[in-house]
Amino acid sequence: MARYGMALDYKNCINCKACEVACKEENGVLLGADKHRIWVGVNEIEGVWPNLSISSSSFLPSQCQQCDNAPCEEVCPTHATYYDENGVVRVDSDKCILCSYCMNACPYDARYVDDRTVTVDKCTFCSDTRLARGLTTTACQNTCPTKVRTFGDLDDPESEISILLKTRDHFSLKANLGTEPKLFYLT
Amino acid sequence: MAEAVTNEGIVAKVKAFLATIPHNKITLRDLLNYPKTPVNNFIALLTVLFLAFFVIGVGNYLIHGHEAYGVTREHPWGLLIAVYIFFVVSSTGLCIVGSLGDVFGFKDYEVISKRAIFGSIVTILSGFAVIAFEIGHPIRMMIWNVLTPGLRSAIWWMGTLYGLYLTFMIIEFVFLLKHDMRRAKIFGLIGLLVGLAAHSNLGGVFGFLNTRLISQGVFYPTYFILTAFITGIYLAFIMMGFRYRLKFPDNIRKMLVGLAKIQGLLLAILMFFETWKMMTAIYGGVPGRSDVAEHILTTWPFWAEVLLGMLIPFLIILKSKGQNVTGMFWGSLIGMVGIFFMRYDLVHDTQLKPLQMMKVREYQLPPEWVHYAPSATEIMISLGGLGICILLYYIGTKLFNLDADTEH
Ligand code: SF4
Ligand code: SF4
Ligand code: SF4
Repeated sequence: MARYGMALDYKNCINCKACEVACKEENGVLLGADKHRIWVGVNEIEGVWPNLSISSSSFLPSQCQQCDNAPCEEVCPTHATYYDENGVVRVDSDKCILCSYCMNACPYDARYVDDRTVTVDKCTFCSDTRLARGLTTTACQNTCPTKVRTFGDLDDPESEISILLKTRDHFSLKANLGTEPKLFYLT
Repeated sequence: MAEAVTNEGIVAKVKAFLATIPHNKITLRDLLNYPKTPVNNFIALLTVLFLAFFVIGVGNYLIHGHEAYGVTREHPWGLLIAVYIFFVVSSTGLCIVGSLGDVFGFKDYEVISKRAIFGSIVTILSGFAVIAFEIGHPIRMMIWNVLTPGLRSAIWWMGTLYGLYLTFMIIEFVFLLKHDMRRAKIFGLIGLLVGLAAHSNLGGVFGFLNTRLISQGVFYPTYFILTAFITGIYLAFIMMGFRYRLKFPDNIRKMLVGLAKIQGLLLAILMFFETWKMMTAIYGGVPGRSDVAEHILTTWPFWAEVLLGMLIPFLIILKSKGQNVTGMFWGSLIGMVGIFFMRYDLVHDTQLKPLQMMKVREYQLPPEWVHYAPSATEIMISLGGLGICILLYYIGTKLFNLDADTEH
């Protein structure tokens, strides 16, 4: 029983997309699938040479926010979407009827249709792959060359992520919606 | 052995009960035997064509799955959802119109009760036929909707209540046929209440989308009931127009004039609501609401909805103070086209605004609005739904006496 969360030191992201590759490899996401499970948002540099705004150029790695109060779970008619014992929002592909309501309700556009199971899927914090094998890291975190991601148990006050969140300023995406994301962007 | 006997007993009882429902014995030849006017021939041809489309469309879907549709990750709901809503709104509307006479006891409207209730059954069946090919796993839905019901899901309530509603509508219709007005009234009232609950829940499916500011809120659940009533009245004109070939007897004319006046009021209320919805959406420039609303005002389907679905029929009613029932027959046909756009707009506009933040790759500008165009398969299944609706209704007119019984 844990309450998994992830902190992203997003300013360190260099947009190498190693995380996208690692996630696809680990979780069998179809090759070439765009923005499935994980993606890096890119803000183009603004201005005309030589007056370029360096601060405008930024990368925002993102994935399912693992909301504590998840709209996708709330709208699911068959409880196919559920919170597992570690607080991870998961989809039971046997129960998903592909009504797509969750895809419309998720404020972060984090869900997609998995062409293999023909049901909706999303980032699972590698629950059925790495965590199931007893590992304590996710593929995207493990591979990141600049160590953007820190993954761990939010309920454990001694965990690296808990300490990070206590010592660094951070924000959540679309916090006004009350979804209580478990992804934290460090500033 | 004993079980087999009871089973047979039940089958016999059901058969005996069905035999008590007044109906005409018809054969295929009766169905093909209609006055061969050009209009009738044209409608028959169109229906056959639509049914063929349905078969092709469904075949295509079964082979290719959702790939055959124009839906995308950013725009997961497409034309079929809009058409489903179109049909169930029609059903709820006809149920309201049918209830005027046999539930609420407005004598003038009893002449349409049976026909409207039958229409409500036919339209919802057509809606189900279409949605079955949009929901990825309809059979699984029936199982898990019961085993692990998601009670906080508007889709769960909408689906479950519509299932119940269909049952009550069928029971009511049977009692209407059997001329058991007391029981018809009871089941009609329950059916109407369940139908209204189901229908407002369908509005809730959109109203609960907290992240889609353009749809979120109380507007859709209430507006769905209002537009259902409007749709029901349009369909009443269309059904009666075909029934009497636009030569209306006095009692029918009287009823239609009454309906036209109600329609005038309802359309006025709808236009008032829409205006305020747009104004409150635009006011203040809130992103995700104001920009979407301003964009909607520049799209032609919105103006099709306003012109065809509201303004033209409203002007027809206004000009003759509701007396021009033949004009309103045509106005209603136009109105139904507008109502179709109303449903399409509702679905599409909800998904217009891209949700991802900075989720763009290099050398690719962020999409201003999410794009969607229905695929040929979606269009074929949708037209097929219309074909099913016309066919079922036509069979019903042959099989049952849908006119009011004369003896009361
Ligand atoms: S980010 Fe979206 S998919 Fe993930 S838990 Fe929240 S609402 Fe669900
Ligand atoms: S698509 Fe599947 S997971 Fe999503 S709401 Fe529908 S049944 Fe639930
Ligand atoms: S946590 Fe696992 S499933 Fe989620 S984005 Fe990272 S690698 Fe993919």
